[in-house]
Amino acid sequence: MAADAPILEVENVVTRFGAQAVHDGVSFAVGRGELVALIGGSGTGKTVLLREIIGLHRPSAGAIRLLGTDIWRSSAGELAAVRRRFGMMFQDGALFSSLDVAHNVATPIREQLDLPPHVLWPLVQLRVSLAELPPEAAAKMPSQLSGGMRKRAAIARALALEPEIIFLDEPTSGLDPITARAFDRLMRFLVDDLGITVFVVTHDLDTLLTVTDRVIVLADGKVLADGPVREVMAVTDPWVQQYFSIRTMVGGDWQNANTHGA
Amino acid sequence: MDAAGRWARIESREGRTTLHLAGEWRVAALAEIDAALAALPPAARIDALDGAGLEALDTAGALVALRFVQARGGDPAAVALNGFDERRSRVVRLVASRLGDVAGARETRRAGFFATVGRNAVGIANLLGGHLNFLGQIAVGLAGAIANPRRFRIKELAAQFEQVGINAIPVVALVTFLIGIVFAYLLGLQAEKYGANIFVVDGVALGMAREFSPIIVAVIVAGRSGAAFTAQLGTMRLTEETDAIRVLGLAPMDVLMIPRLVALMVALPLLVFVGNVMGNFGAMFMADTMLGITPTTYLERLQAAVRARHYVVGLAKAPVFAFFIAVIAIRMGMTVSRDTRSIGINTTSTVVQAIVAVILLDAVFAVVFQKLGI
Repeated sequence: MAADAPILEVENVVTRFGAQAVHDGVSFAVGRGELVALIGGSGTGKTVLLREIIGLHRPSAGAIRLLGTDIWRSSAGELAAVRRRFGMMFQDGALFSSLDVAHNVATPIREQLDLPPHVLWPLVQLRVSLAELPPEAAAKMPSQLSGGMRKRAAIARALALEPEIIFLDEPTSGLDPITARAFDRLMRFLVDDLGITVFVVTHDLDTLLTVTDRVIVLADGKVLADGPVREVMAVTDPWVQQYFSIRTMVGGDWQNANTHGA
Repeated sequence: MDAAGRWARIESREGRTTLHLAGEWRVAALAEIDAALAALPPAARIDALDGAGLEALDTAGALVALRFVQARGGDPAAVALNGFDERRSRVVRLVASRLGDVAGARETRRAGFFATVGRNAVGIANLLGGHLNFLGQIAVGLAGAIANPRRFRIKELAAQFEQVGINAIPVVALVTFLIGIVFAYLLGLQAEKYGANIFVVDGVALGMAREFSPIIVAVIVAGRSGAAFTAQLGTMRLTEETDAIRVLGLAPMDVLMIPRLVALMVALPLLVFVGNVMGNFGAMFMADTMLGITPTTYLERLQAAVRARHYVVGLAKAPVFAFFIAVIAIRMGMTVSRDTRSIGINTTSTVVQAIVAVILLDAVFAVVFQKLGI
């Protein structure tokens, strides 16, 4: 496979719930080794789009090619093969609550590979370590973990089979700023050191400004802007302007910032 | 080249031992790689890794290689890397830095037999102690509601009564009707032999009134409403609704628990009555077709055979059953821990405990009534 072919292509995706059109021709592509963020206001269908990309929700029209496979026009076998090659972190982790962290991480490995225990458990522990969890977290049940640790455990599970691309749904929501910034570094580490492509749905401005290579803005069912964050910030759209102006309010001029939007 | 040689070979030259890696050292091939390494001839400690033959390397592959170095007495942090491109050597260095976390990793052990028995014993003791404690709380709550009727939530009570009482009538009616049929059939088989057909009426009517209707209806309600109470309250706890109720200055006892308890205690005797009626209808149907006892004869015999006190005995048990079903279900709901799995566990436990409690109480009633000669 050519190294420069996009790892993910979304082409003219249309999504309708009844009469309401959520997506009305969404198109973009993600290249290998990029850290791309998808942003948009509430109800613009970010999470729905993510579910369409990973094969959980069928779009009304359009095509999605992930790792060279057309997700919605492929057989169950092809889809299963693709699923082995990407990782997904759901918003609240979606850890299996009846298994401890180590067995959560081991589940996809055991499903796909027949590894002897002396290889499997060190590998599981390495995943736990790569997700920046302390070693003793492996023996804990999901209910014993804090929100941030649950998300890390979910990342460890998503990393289990060393995917080529990893999808993160709001990885920093509900986390304190310190933990959230550590998460940003973790995302960057996945891209730079492990060579994994990261596609993240987020609301976190700091994530956008500090670690992303590219930002895609979803609005009115279409891609409003697509490019490095500095370029996206310059787009003259009221929603985009208001969105990024929130940041200048912190320690800045509240009065002026407030008159900006609405 | 043999299978092992495809992945790795060891070379010693000038007192230095090098492990040459070849092929795709990725997680998908880990089992093969591990087998290949195990098949390598024993060697002195490994001083260097050579990655010139590698086609791919991921962290899993690096982990296996470094742990092999470690097992052969080498130092993974200091091992020389020859022929690795920049990205791959970064992966190796990264994994080397995490080896400390990985050391000693093995499957988390399941608890042994005695540990499990001990934990379960303590768990049951805590559970029963907690029930007793909760029984006291709910008694105080109930007394408070009686002393201060304005705390009583009529609307909530009515809503609960509809769910646990009215909506349960169809299933209770169906099941007791069928039980009546089966019961009459069994007794009829014996009675026919002695020409004592008419006594089937006595047997069915007495049995339904005193035992079958209360027990069967209580078991249905334990499964239906007991499980519902636990699941409802458990979900409310999980979504912090019960905390919101507290913060708003309301008492979960008044708003959630007492209405459910009282609704069930009112509904169960009424359902037992429905069960009595339907059970006799079932038996009447069977007696007519099997034993030639007309419905008129059946009803005449019913009046003569069964005293009112038999019905009272059955109906009197119902509120007691209801009280314990509700207490168990409510407490199991309110002790759900903050994860989703716990709701399932507690709901299952409620049904089991409630059914056992009903049977146990019925046995106690049987002994007491026998001593009292009722």
